Amino acid sequence: MAPTLPSSDQASDQDNWDNGRLARKRQLLIEIVLRNKLTALVVDGDTTCRVLEQLLLRSYGVQTQGVDNGRDAVALIASGVKLDLIIIDMILPVLNGLETTRQIRDMGVHCKMLGVTICSRESERQVFLAAGVDVFIEKPLDPEHLVPILRELDGQ
Amino acid sequence: MERNPMRRQLAIMRQSLFDQGHVDEQFVQLEELQDDANPNFVEEVVTLYYRDSARIILNIEQALERKPFDFRKLDAYMHQFKGSSSSIGAKKVKAESTLFREYCKSGNGEGCMRSFQQLKKEYATLRKKLGAYFQLARQAGPVETASRPK
Repeated sequence: MAPTLPSSDQASDQDNWDNGRLARKRQLLIEIVLRNKLTALVVDGDTTCRVLEQLLLRSYGVQTQGVDNGRDAVALIASGVKLDLIIIDMILPVLNGLETTRQIRDMGVHCKMLGVTICSRESERQVFLAAGVDVFIEKPLDPEHLVPILRELDGQ
Repeated sequence: MERNPMRRQLAIMRQSLFDQGHVDEQFVQLEELQDDANPNFVEEVVTLYYRDSARIILNIEQALERKPFDFRKLDAYMHQFKGSSSSIGAKKVKAESTLFREYCKSGNGEGCMRSFQQLKKEYATLRKKLGAYFQLARQAGPVETASRPK
């Protein structure tokens, strides 16, 4: 269901703003066509966030799986699964996001890692980058941040 | 009730969610993920959010009953809750979550309790408004969507 729009003679400034943003987002969704099969892992303890991030990735054709804690993420990667992209939250059950990131990097995994988390402090951002994520993105993950990264991974 | 007046009412209801600050552009992002194959996607995600976040709300309530407050734990709960709320575009709920975390950071227990009460009000208000919106959307039926390449 596309967002419902009032008829043009009733469009308010808010409607026009929404329509403009929506058009740009649609453009982002339509523009990218991946040439390669990319694979991704979403590591997030929150079901809503994890489901949405996986769906967003899949909408671009990225083969995606998800785990809800850091220990399972480490185990999955240790099993030999090859990934192009890992999206990881900072606060995770069982094994936190910082330690999970460090362990993944210590295993010699060099794939792109996005720290996608709620952040209120610059120090948190720096700590997450120091742990090994390549990019820090404040939740929610959106196409404007994701699409350039997917293009880069796809060699576009 | 005829479809067109219902559609207009739905548009007005949707607009008011934004105008009153209940949702932000992330809600539009959810709508963008909805298509003919998943016509009730947004409602399903919001239902999932309220189901899962109820547990976090309960955890916070229980933590606020224990003295002294464990601000680290409270902050961790609210971190998750804020992330979840932001993912569905719950703007006012997210704002109260930020305030709560600020109170945790400064060790202000009274502030946490006040903020949490306000957060629960916004959370309940949003649930009611979205519930009414989705109910009307179901009555109004699906609209034609422009197809986009998969």
